[in-house]
Amino acid sequence: MTTVQSPVPASAAPVSGRARGAGARGAAWLRVAGGLLAVLGALLPWATFVLNEGPYPEKATLQFFVAPLGLTGFRLHLALLGLAAILVSVRAVRGRARIVRALGWGIVATSLVNGLYITVEGGGLGAITASGGSAAFGAVVALIGGAFAAAGAVGGGIEPLPVREWRMPWWAEWLLLLVLFGLLLLVVSAVLTSGGQGGVVNPYAGAVFLSFLAAAGGAFAALHASGLLTWLAAVAERHRVFSIVVLLVMALLLPLTGAGTEYWMTVAANIGVYAATAIGLNIVVGLAGLLDLGYVAFLGIGAFVAANLSGAAASEIGIRLPFPLVMIISAVVAGLFGAVVGSPTLRVRGDYLAIVTLAFGEIFVRSAQNNIGGLTGGANAIPNIPQVSAFGTAFNESIAIGAVTLPAGVLYYVLIVLLVAVVMLVFGNLKNSRLGRAWIAIREDEDAARAMGIRTGPIKILAFLIGATLAGLAGAFFAHKTAVVAYDSFRFLESVTLLAAVILGGMGTIPGAVFGASILFVLPEKLREFADYRLLLFGLALVVIMRFRPQGIIPDRHRRTELAPVTAQDPPPAKGAEA
Amino acid sequence: MAFLEVRDLTVAYGAIQGVRGVTFAVEQGQIVSLIGSNGAGKTTTLRTLSGLLRPVSGEVWLDGTPLHRLPAHEILAHGVAHSPEGRRLFARMTVEENLRLGAYTRRDEAGVVADLDRIYDLFPVLGQRRRAKAGLFSGGEQQMLAIGRALMSRPRLLMLDEPSMGLSPIMTQKIFDTVRDLRAEGTTVLLVEQNALAALALSDRAYVIDLGRTTLSGTGAELLADPRVQAAYLGEGVTS
Amino acid sequence: MLPTLLSQVANGLVLGSLIGLIALGYTMVYGIIQLINFAHGEIFMVGAYGGLAALTYLLPAAIANQWYLALPIALVAGAVIAALVAVAAERFAYRPLRDAPRLAPLITALGVSVALQEAVRVFYPDATAALPFPSIFIEGTLEIPVPGGTVPIKYAGILLALVSLALAAGLQVFVDRSRTGRAMRATAQDRDIARLMGIDPDRVIVLTFLIGGALAGVGGVLYGGYLNNINIDMGFQNGIFAFTAAVLGGIGSIRGAVVGGLAIGLVKSLGGQYLPGGTAYDYVWIFVVLIVVLVFRPQGFFGETERVRA
Repeated sequence: MTTVQSPVPASAAPVSGRARGAGARGAAWLRVAGGLLAVLGALLPWATFVLNEGPYPEKATLQFFVAPLGLTGFRLHLALLGLAAILVSVRAVRGRARIVRALGWGIVATSLVNGLYITVEGGGLGAITASGGSAAFGAVVALIGGAFAAAGAVGGGIEPLPVREWRMPWWAEWLLLLVLFGLLLLVVSAVLTSGGQGGVVNPYAGAVFLSFLAAAGGAFAALHASGLLTWLAAVAERHRVFSIVVLLVMALLLPLTGAGTEYWMTVAANIGVYAATAIGLNIVVGLAGLLDLGYVAFLGIGAFVAANLSGAAASEIGIRLPFPLVMIISAVVAGLFGAVVGSPTLRVRGDYLAIVTLAFGEIFVRSAQNNIGGLTGGANAIPNIPQVSAFGTAFNESIAIGAVTLPAGVLYYVLIVLLVAVVMLVFGNLKNSRLGRAWIAIREDEDAARAMGIRTGPIKILAFLIGATLAGLAGAFFAHKTAVVAYDSFRFLESVTLLAAVILGGMGTIPGAVFGASILFVLPEKLREFADYRLLLFGLALVVIMRFRPQGIIPDRHRRTELAPVTAQDPPPAKGAEA
Repeated sequence: MAFLEVRDLTVAYGAIQGVRGVTFAVEQGQIVSLIGSNGAGKTTTLRTLSGLLRPVSGEVWLDGTPLHRLPAHEILAHGVAHSPEGRRLFARMTVEENLRLGAYTRRDEAGVVADLDRIYDLFPVLGQRRRAKAGLFSGGEQQMLAIGRALMSRPRLLMLDEPSMGLSPIMTQKIFDTVRDLRAEGTTVLLVEQNALAALALSDRAYVIDLGRTTLSGTGAELLADPRVQAAYLGEGVTS
Repeated sequence: MLPTLLSQVANGLVLGSLIGLIALGYTMVYGIIQLINFAHGEIFMVGAYGGLAALTYLLPAAIANQWYLALPIALVAGAVIAALVAVAAERFAYRPLRDAPRLAPLITALGVSVALQEAVRVFYPDATAALPFPSIFIEGTLEIPVPGGTVPIKYAGILLALVSLALAAGLQVFVDRSRTGRAMRATAQDRDIARLMGIDPDRVIVLTFLIGGALAGVGGVLYGGYLNNINIDMGFQNGIFAFTAAVLGGIGSIRGAVVGGLAIGLVKSLGGQYLPGGTAYDYVWIFVVLIVVLVFRPQGFFGETERVRA
């Protein structure tokens, strides 16, 4: 007979009060010193000479002595992050350690990006330290500052994420949201345009963009650490309809910001196409848990149907239907194919289903490549698809409203924003419907779902059908926007990319798919220098994400299985933040 | 220190804590039983001893060697063999292949062949059909094979999980007779049984596990006579 | 008529034995850890480039020109490099996800596949286009006379078929008879109980990747020698064929992988010859076969139980 008491683990022995006090003071000093060093680093010169491809952006890197306080670009970001770290360190702010940690990492990342870039371009560490009589220690000092701040934050102990429950009158909250989403618009515009259009136009576009991402990421993480983001999300949730309307309006206002050029309108339209498709895929994979490795075929089917009904000279059918009708037909045809591809789900599950969908995708590509039935143009593609036009204006023309001239492609941009909004609406409503709950039940445990009386067969096919329909809609848009449809746009790798967008963003969530698609399209656009390594990095990124954050960047709070291990669940959502 | 010492073993099974404070000892050459109701934590205890599960805390010592941090395939090398609940034979392999897998870590071919013959002597039905697939045998025959497989590693400690499950009374008796013979040969046996009456009658010592803890212990005869054990485990546990 | 038919049969059998050889890797890995190792086709491709690298950069021309010297060296180089890459993928990509939910390792395998293909394209000199592969066997063609003409088979094709079938047979004997083979089967059937037998599943799994990788590497070199040119897409395409073969034969079955491979080879060559659409659609017929098999007979020819994972 035994009764045993579990011994207290040795590591839990309390630290003496004085030791803790001294440690905390040291950590506080470290945080302040880190912030100061970051500011100092921002003020110091960064490169010892003019780089091969011309002066590094924000010339200040070389012109310390000309304009020591003329802070622009990444040096301004560093100074701001450093000042924020100092301020937060000396004032009692809730969630201080987490905030400073985020700021510290932001400083580290920003100085690393710029320092590394200058080092590589300048042929060695001499470029960022001392060379030929001039010294440039900005990168080193800022890097140390960031590390100090982060170390000081962690050293003082990390408290839980603060929960804020401020309430304001409804009109104040509306105003707040309006300002918030306005700022969001500016941030999105800034992210898109930072570094400008990559490639030949600006050799440093990649570095500037990455640096901006690092700084913005640090600031964003700091906001999250303060509990403000969670609170703002709760406020937005309280005024759900208002938020959605404002967000939509803000999205439509993007052409009026710095991103309002033809180039960015095109990039944004492409993101929109893949975001809409990814949301459709999210129904199949994220909600119903059915892995589809040939999904891009539905985008292709939609595009080819639209191309054939557009009156393009190369199309076999040679009739021209009005665009709205074309969209509907494309969606319906893609949906029918979706049902066909989904029908094996009646008998096949899991990995094998993934292979069946892959096989369908390959059959589609092969058939399109061989110009099946003269419908796809084969290797010649279907070129010269007429532009969509309304009221005598083709959608690829620039338009003038009063004194404001909007860039070419703005009408396509507006169209795709509305399309994505519709797709999101469909997804959101489905997710919270009876059907959505049935899908989730199937995803969690198909046998149990069947035992509960869910007719799993038709419901799984319906997931494929609806997902494919949305992709078909996007395909019709795609055909007209790019004016050329070729089989090459719908290869296996594109399906993997779409899947990656869904997973990267977070399976089963709406913002996840949009966010994932944006990342996967903006990054290659910005990082042209690395174009050769794009797919290599993409493949490695898939491996790394599955290893360290399988639930994606914006995880679904209610999601339990499939990808996230039980132990890696996020902490329970803050009060009042239920989706 | 006893031959096998289990101290304050705690095992978490997902979110549920299956075992939270199991402590017992087994002397060399004894038959020791763990009894208790369904879900009390007996099987979890055995699976932890053989390394299939990792304990959250607690210790397992065999003959002065700590086992609680070793992976399953190394624990076998220390002389612990586990015949799991439900037999878990390699159904698509032959009788002989199953037995040879039991001797996987042994390199003495002559000894392995001798032990194969010993098992075939012990269970003649296996010897007659050594080339037949294990999945084709009856429940009792499969249980013999499972015990034989565990014996093939020449264990110092044999752990049997529910050897009588699903067997006819005659077959159960035969299995228990075999266990007694093994003790006579010097093998230490740790037995987990639902059939508490038969198990206690056979055991030198027994422990009662209730809700993941060892609550009572004594010789088999003492526990058979204990009114608490009679009320809780002997009333309806006799058959099954 | 007859010569055409028989030539296509011969072509199909040569290609089919190669696909069977690659399929062994799929079938063994799936049998043991239920992972569709998408990267396996790329392992085959890496093996071909490894062999080519040995022939191009390692061997002096005097040796590389003697096929009886070049062949074994290229085969060993291809096998070693492919096996190393396969084991590295297991160790660093798949093993950390051993107990993760089912989608995660599959997506990881896709990532490994893309990364391997791109790594070769970016880092192997001139791999952006197809590369010529030197002859590593007796050059020329065996002309078999048949009524109405002759059936030509490249000697390199005969080598490819014979080596593939011999390796598959050797693997079958190894898995059936050896102690390690028994451990592999035990791990495939019940990993926990295999651990109770003293088997270290990690070692068995590494060994499985090693064998599968080496076989694929040998296949890659022989394939290069047969077609005399290789490209980075060869892995994906033949990998999918091989997976189809593994499923067709019954996943987990060595005999099944070979029979499945031969069947796929015949479908491709005969389908390309006689079905509507010609060679442009031979690829499509294989996928049609894949879908039909997965839907109607997922256990394949030799599968003992239906391994459909929920």
